Parts: sequence; structure tokens; C-alpha cells
Amino acid sequence: MSWEIVYKATEYIAEEIGVALKKSAFSPNIRERMDFSVAVVDSEGRIIAQAEHIPVHLGSFYIGVKNLIKYLSEENIDLARGDVVITNDPYIAGTHLNDVMALSPVYYENRLVAYITTKAHYVDVGGPAPASLNPHSKTLYDEGLIIPPVKLVKRGELDKEILGIILSNFKTQDYALGDINAQIAAQRIGEVRVRELFNKYHSVLEAWDKAIEHGRRLVELEYEKWPQGVYEAEDYLDWRDEIYRIRVKLEISGNIILVDFEGTSRQVEEPVNAVLGVTFAATSFSIRCMLNKEVPTNHGFYSTIIVKAPLGTLVNPLKPAPVGAGNLETSNRIVDVVFLALSKALPGRVPAAASGTMMNLMIGGVYNNRYWSYYETIGGGTGARPFKNGVSGVHVNMTNTLNTPIEIAEREFPILFTAYRIREGSGGRGRFRGGDGIVRSMKVLAPATLSIIASRFKTRPWGLEGGEPGLPARVYVKRVKGYIEEICSQTIDLKPGDEVVVETPGGGGYGALK
Amino acid sequence: MSSIIAVDVGGTFTDFVALDERGEIKTLKLLSTPRSPEKAVIEGLEKFSFREVVHASTIGTNALLGQIGLERPKVALFTTRGFRDIIEIGRQNRPRLYDLYFEKPRPLVPRELRFEIDERTLHTGEVVKRPDLEEVRKLAEKAVSMGVISVAVSFLHSYANPENEVIVGEVLKEKFKYVTLSHEIAWEPREYERTSTAVINAVLMPIVSNYLEEIGKYVENRGASIYTMTSSGGLVTVEEAVKRPVQLVESGPAGGVVAVAELARLLGLRRVISLDMGGTTAKAATVVDYEVQLTTEYEVGGEVHYGRVVKGSGYPVRYPFVDLSEVSAGGGTIIWRDEAGALRVGPLSAGADPGPVCYNRGGVQPTITDANLVLGRIPTSLLGGTMLLDERKALEALRKLGDPYDVANIAIDMINLVMARGIRLVTIERGLDPRDFVLIAFGGAGPQHAVLLAEELGIERVIIPPLPGVFTALGMLMADFKFEARRAYPRDVEEAFNELENKLANLKPDYYIRYADVRYKGQGWELIIPVGKPATIESIKSIFEERHIATYGFKLPREVEIVVVRVFAVKKRIKPILRDPLLEGSPEVSEKDVFFDGWIKVPVFKRDQLPLGYRINGPAIIIEDYSTTIIPPRWQAVVGKFGVLEVRK
Repeated sequence: MSWEIVYKATEYIAEEIGVALKKSAFSPNIRERMDFSVAVVDSEGRIIAQAEHIPVHLGSFYIGVKNLIKYLSEENIDLARGDVVITNDPYIAGTHLNDVMALSPVYYENRLVAYITTKAHYVDVGGPAPASLNPHSKTLYDEGLIIPPVKLVKRGELDKEILGIILSNFKTQDYALGDINAQIAAQRIGEVRVRELFNKYHSVLEAWDKAIEHGRRLVELEYEKWPQGVYEAEDYLDWRDEIYRIRVKLEISGNIILVDFEGTSRQVEEPVNAVLGVTFAATSFSIRCMLNKEVPTNHGFYSTIIVKAPLGTLVNPLKPAPVGAGNLETSNRIVDVVFLALSKALPGRVPAAASGTMMNLMIGGVYNNRYWSYYETIGGGTGARPFKNGVSGVHVNMTNTLNTPIEIAEREFPILFTAYRIREGSGGRGRFRGGDGIVRSMKVLAPATLSIIASRFKTRPWGLEGGEPGLPARVYVKRVKGYIEEICSQTIDLKPGDEVVVETPGGGGYGALK
Repeated sequence: MSSIIAVDVGGTFTDFVALDERGEIKTLKLLSTPRSPEKAVIEGLEKFSFREVVHASTIGTNALLGQIGLERPKVALFTTRGFRDIIEIGRQNRPRLYDLYFEKPRPLVPRELRFEIDERTLHTGEVVKRPDLEEVRKLAEKAVSMGVISVAVSFLHSYANPENEVIVGEVLKEKFKYVTLSHEIAWEPREYERTSTAVINAVLMPIVSNYLEEIGKYVENRGASIYTMTSSGGLVTVEEAVKRPVQLVESGPAGGVVAVAELARLLGLRRVISLDMGGTTAKAATVVDYEVQLTTEYEVGGEVHYGRVVKGSGYPVRYPFVDLSEVSAGGGTIIWRDEAGALRVGPLSAGADPGPVCYNRGGVQPTITDANLVLGRIPTSLLGGTMLLDERKALEALRKLGDPYDVANIAIDMINLVMARGIRLVTIERGLDPRDFVLIAFGGAGPQHAVLLAEELGIERVIIPPLPGVFTALGMLMADFKFEARRAYPRDVEEAFNELENKLANLKPDYYIRYADVRYKGQGWELIIPVGKPATIESIKSIFEERHIATYGFKLPREVEIVVVRVFAVKKRIKPILRDPLLEGSPEVSEKDVFFDGWIKVPVFKRDQLPLGYRINGPAIIIEDYSTTIIPPRWQAVVGKFGVLEVRK
């Protein structure tokens, strides 16, 4: 049997686990926005196949799976058939508390042959802020419940006591229960399918080795065309009044890319710290974008990237630094800075910077005796490309979720939208223009609280080769009393009739204007 | 002899299937004439006498995708002030994750032709701002001066109260022949999808009406009538087609599924997977209880990933479509090695032009058809012997990738795996287990792969229908008339259904089918469920929950919300009779070397010589004019009623 067939079958298993999870999940976040990811991993923790959904999850598995396997072995926790371990500890799983990671072993003829792992974004994991996204957190404890690696399922039996602790902390319990059940069911399907694979084909492990080798070889062939050398870059993350530095030294050295973040700002008591999993995910995302499309994202690819992120910095913080926005905003800036370094190695191939913020907007309150909360992420412009303009009004870098239709949102929340349009002229000028950002504005019809987690208010998406930067983000409130209040990443109160106007950044331009 | 004729206008060929009262079938294939598709249609119809023409065309899709020769008419869009870019922003996602050079589908109306009107309706239906009609008139004049010939109007919450759209529409009708109001085309919430549907309708109106009026006139002069196939698998009149041409997009593939549903009914098969495999893609659909399954999620020109349309890759159309999932796998799928030496199959296809290497039309990359040829699994000539295949060339092309027989064998296993797993994904996604299904396979390449694919899927029974090569056109002859009407958020369900039925009553239908798009309050998606009469909230809720458990595995203690109610008025047509095969006869058997796990001598049969009840043990090959059926070892075929081949393990 050829390894290609066994590998194709493994890729479909990852896809099928994803379908199962999406199909039985409760929350629109998982089902509609597909905010989850899946991997089939071998017994050494190497990623064999993934279902392609959310970039920040996918790359984080490379760190998260290794961390979790190491934790289990250090704590002398053996996994039996039918066990499912879960954790959301960002310092192990590698993203932020909202992402709950599950891992279960696959045994074939009494031998551990593989793991199934999934990661899903839960709408709320506790803590003081709606959706557990807290712009004012000072420690991890301000961001929600921390679940250390625990066996939620033991030999097929759900541990109701552990489940009870989790559910009494998550604020949207019916969603959480549904999503946990869906995740467990998906783990089981993966386990069954991988066992079937071993039953059907004799040489699965050899095929997986070949697939990893092949993935690595494809990447190496690409690196061979890249100029060897060291390329440095710096970009900045603005957070309220502060500006933090992210510095990178990217070395293309034979078959390996070394990415060193020495010189990056120290960790802070703000939610913008990015755990190593996020840093790795963002770095590998940028590099992956520069490879030809047909490269499988398995261990072969990931193992060509070595990330050095000094402990205690913004890109590899020490517990218990808060990390909620690191996953959302800092991740985007890491993508930008790695692209900037790559643009020096591969001139003429890397676009200018994209808007670089997820522009997270949360509005909520009590209306007609019911608690409501509306969460949206708003896209921006992509950077101009070396031979064409950027794209306007789209999600960039580390996210790719859908918007909420206005007609649905107005029906469910006391909000009246006043505009949703392209922010004309926001893309950086140049020989090729950056894509334009978006204007989304709305009036609240009841008292409410507004939270914003975003960046690029003070720094702008850079242009390349003489192209101008895109316009920065701007969020302001037209108070019903008649004055305008500029805001940034923070939480404020709104009165009925107040209008929130969100303007997202345009992408940078490419090439000097003639 | 007077016939009914199905005409299927494709991008490359225009197919004709004529069926007379005795059940005699005649076929004709002509090259399409994309610049004016009616030419090939009329040229072909000249060769037949007929009383009825049933017609399907890809003209809509081709026009939208900018096929050369079809010029897109200039269209203007009128929107609520502040929201003109909704069709440009779409759902905000990008279709490909790692591609820095991606483009979103270009908006069908450029920004300078999108006009904002100061008007507003709330979700409750309350109009808080009426449009200034003088302003509308001025903008309409401006649009005329810019060369616009067709307009679409889409205002926020027009599904809750269409008043503003209606009065603006009246003004626009003074200036334009073609006016599309979003609530008339897609009476449902979600501004992007509704606007996109309206805009597509506006683009298609001038094209489709010119084209259909031309053919309509011709057919009328011949004393016959003409009907058009829709994407939901029903037929509509030319008048309806011209008013809402958006329902014609993708009408071609629907025919095959309609035929499968009809065959399933004849054979009493309650759970069927339909597989249509041609040159570039394989399309799968499920038919449960003889009903074609519908979906309203569709994007014209969208890309496909693991059988599902990638959101944001095409132009959404909110109209009922036969729920098809597509996998890039066909006879023309290219076999290649990547730079690191792995064998790959697809997704690129050599299509019909240049086609497989063995067609000798300039193709150099080996395809699945070439692989089947060198393994001896298909005959060395096509189209009844008129087209010879070049086996030597196919062999040479495959040899460039390694041992040609090994490569061919692995490639076929891979394509079967890709199709099988693709079908698996889309069936489990709909809450169904493929192992409970019978596979009905057709299309030029379907019968070659069907049984091996069934093996991979764990399906135990496969049916190859008669005339698998032209089964889609045959299906068009089996379709009923089906007209659709819908509205959003009904106050009283039974009243709303009655209203819709009254609206469609002038068609004198035999019966109505009722559907509702239902969800839990706060849920972001709906399930389409069948509804009985009289319709009550309680009965809808209980069917919805049943369907919810089947599809998603759970129900919720929550209020249920009916987002859209929908009615199809169905008027039955006389179905063509599928004739039984010969009652007796002794077919000729020849022999051939074929590769199955190794080279073996395999018997070859001609399908038209096989009598009813005839049994063939695999391995065997059964050939006919437009297709070849492969029976692998350990499987057995029996000739059944209506000439079907029934293959079991």
C-alpha cells in the first residue's frame, strides 16, 4: 500500500473529526464561525494531519501537544483507552483561556499509536468580563477559570464532579455543556477512525513517517531557493497609552529558519502577553504563507521553524501574566513583524502590512430583564501586494471568522446600525494601494457597557518599497449629549442614543507614488 | 412520432434526449455556441419533431463567471443609506487562509453604481424613514445616463415590511424594463445574502429573457411548449424563469438527482446516494424517502473544500437548490508528482479540452481515464467506436511518474478514497450514515468507480441505471412543475401558508409542499423542515426537534423561531416509461486482460445484450455507448427491472 493513500485517509480523519465537532457543538461560535481546530498526532506528539480552520490554534498545537504530553509524564499520569484529558491553561495548551484543548490516546493492539487532539473557543470561561475578554486584566486570574490538565473522561466515563466545577464557573452554561459534549464525541470518533485505519492498513506508522519526511522535504526545497542570511525587523503594539516593541531576528540557515525575539518588551500586567504557543503559531503562519500552496501543515513543516522567545517577555511570558489579548492582538503584530523580516529576505514577494487588528467589540447589558451580549470582530484592509492592490474589508492574519448579519443583530439586541461600509481612502497610497478598512457604527437603544480590544490606534500598518502606511484605527462615541469621545482598548458605559463608530485600519501601500 | 425533448446546454456540449410515446430514446450531442446559446439549441431541435421541450442551461452561471462571449449587463443597486458596501464586504472572511494574493469575488455592481437612499425600516416592520421619491427619480436618471439597463433594490429589513422597496420600485419601473426587488426574490433576513441574490437576479434578467424569448418563439412556432428546469429540480414556465432567473443557476446537475429520486421510487429504495461523476467533478446528493434534499446555502462560482462550498469564495444565492456536494474528481483529473516526489491526484483536471492523454488532443499529463485505460478497465474506443483511445501515449505519460501500472493503480485507489471520504463527510454532516444507503452512480465515469467507492464507504449495494451517460438529461424528462413562494417571520403560520398557496393557485397545482426554515431563538442557522397541514407551532416544533436531534445529536430547552415559510406548488407531469430489458438472450462474451491486484483475464459484456435476471460474477467489465461499468472481484451484478444493473457483494 502506498503511503500517499494512508496519509490521505489520515487527513480525512482530521476533517471528519472537525465535521463531528462542528455538527454537534452548541455555540454559534464553534458551529457558525468555525472557531475550533483538530489534529491527529503520533505517539511522540508529532502532528500528522490537521483540519485547516483557525491559524492561531493550528500552530499552537505544535507547542501545546508537547507541553501536555510532558506534563502528563512528569505528573505520572498514564492515559488509558477511553480517557480524555482537557486543559485550557494557556501556559500548557498554548493560546488563551477561552480555548479548551482536549487530548485522548489511541491504542492499537495494546500499543499507544496516536493521540487525537481538538481545541475549541468557548464563548465564556468565567471571570469578570463578558465573553471572558477582559481589557483590564492584570493577571491570568482576571480572565476566567483555569483548568489544569485533568481527565474529564476516565475509561469512557464522564467525571461529573469535574464537569460540575467547570460548568459552575462558565457564564453561558448551556453552550458550555453542549460544546464539551461535542468535543468529547469528536475525540471518540477520531479514536475509532484511527483504529480502523490501523486495522485496514499494515504500514500506518511508516506511512506517517514518510508523510512527515515528505512535508519537510517540500519545505526544504523551497528554503533552498531563499537567500541565506539574517534579517531583522521591529514593529510595535499600542495598548492604551503604552507602546510595546516586538523585535525579531530571522535567520534562514540551510533547512531551518531560526526566529529570535531577543529585544522584545518585557511582559506586562496587561492582557497583551502572548504565550509561546501563540508566538509559534503566528511565526509559522507567516512562513507558511510564503510557501507554495500544496505544503501539508504537519510536523515536517513545523519542525523547520525554531522559535527563540526569551522568557519573561511579551512573546513568552511567565505565569500568571494575563494573556487574553495576546492571542487576539499581539499575535497579529508577531505576524506583521515576521512578514517585515521576510520582506527583506524575499523582496518583491511579501505584501505590505495588513490592518493588523481583530478589532474585538463587545457590547452588553440588561434589557427587558435579560442579560445580552454582542461580540463582533471587524475586518480591515490587507496590505498592497507587490504587483496589485490590497483587498478591502476582510479579516486578515490570524483570524478568519464571519460577521453577524445586521438584520439578525438588530432583532436580538437593542442596537440600531447606522453604517457598515468600506472606509474609503484608509488604505496606504503607493504604486499599489493598500486595501481599505471598514466603518461599522451603531446606536445603543438601552444602557449598555462597551469593551474594545484592538490595536493600531497609534501605530499604522506599514507600507513597503516607498508605499505609505494605512490609516490607523479609530473608535469613538457620539454621545447623545452632543460631544464626541475618543476611545481605545477599554471598557466604558453607554447611554441610550449613544452612537459607537468603529473605523478599522487600511493596509499599507506598496511602491512609491510616481 | 411526437416526442418530449430534454435540452441540456452545457459550456462545451448541448445534449438532446428525445423520448417518444413508446419509450424509444434518441440522443444528439452538438457543440455549444456560447456567444448565442440559442443557436445550437435551435439547430438541434430542427432535427426532431416534438410537442414539449424541457430545457436546462448553464447560461446563468457562465454569464456571472464572465465567460468570454457573454457580456454582463450594467446593473445598478439601490440600498439603505450607510449600507451600499454590504455586497462588497460580504461576510468579512477570506476564502483561503494562507494565500496572500487572494481576491474576493469582484462585486457584480461597482461602487459608483450603488446608490444610497435615505430610508429605514426596523426589524419590527415599522418604517421610520420614507424615501424621497424625487431623489430616487434623480438617481434613476443618473443611472440611465451611466448606461444601466437593469436595477436591484435591497433595503434593510425589507423582508419584515417591503413598503419602501415597493414604492421605490414603482419609480424605477418608469425608467427601467428590468427591476428586481430583494423581497420578491428572497423574502428572508440576512442583508448580504438577500442583496447578493437580488443583484444576481438583476444581472441575469436581461440575458435570460433575451435568450428564452428567442427559443420560446421558435418552439411556439413549431406548435410546442417549453419549460425550464430550476436548481431545485422542478420545472417552471418561461414567464416565471424570466421574472426570477436566479432560480436557473445550476439547473443542469439537478436533473440527475431528480432521475435518481424517480428511480428510487420505482425500485422502492428509501435511502439513496446519487453520484454523478464526469470529466472534472463528482457530485453527490442524498435522496431520502424519494425526496430530493434541498439547501438554500449556495454560492455561484464558489470554491469547494472537502465537498463543501468555501464561504466567501463565490456569490451567495438564497434560493432552494438540490443539496449537492462536489469533489474535484473525474475522468480528466490529473495524476502528478510534486517536487518532493509524492504521487498526487488532482485537484487540477484536463477537462474535455485537451482531455486525457489517450484522447490524443494535445493532453500531456496523465489522467484517471488514462489510468483506467492502461489497466484494461475501459475499452480502447469511445462513443460507440467512433473515437479511438491511444493506449501507448497514456502508458508513456504514466511512465514518467514511475512504473505505469503501479502509478495507475495507486492513482485510482486515491481518487476512490477522495470521493468516498468526501461523500462520507457530507453525509455525516447531514446526520446520515452512508452505510445505510444504496449508491446510484451515473455520468461518464461514475459506473467505472462506483463499486470500488462503495467498498471504501462500506456500502453493500450499488445500482447503475440505464443510460448512465445521459441520465441527467433523462432526469429532466421526469421532473414535475414546481413553483416556489416564501415569506419571513409569519405572524400566524397556517395563515401564511394559505396566503402563499393562494398566490400560487393560478397554476392549478396537484398539490403543495410546505417547508419552514426553523431555528432555536438566538441560533445562527436554520434547518429546513417539511410542514403538514394545518400547520401549527407545536407540530413544527416537534418536527424541528426531531430533525435537530438527527442532524446535530441534541435538542435544547428553548423557544423555537420560524424564520421563513416556503411553499412549492407542484403539478405532476406524465413520467417517461423506463423499459424493461430483454426477457431472454445469450449475450456474447469476449475476454480481456485487466489489472485487479494483478493481471487477470476478465470477461467483457455488452450491456444492451443482457437479459432480465442475468447474473455476472466479478471481475467483469460491462460496456455500452457512453459508459463502462467495472465489477471488481468479489462483487456480483444482476440485471434488474427497468434495465438497472444491481451490484452486490
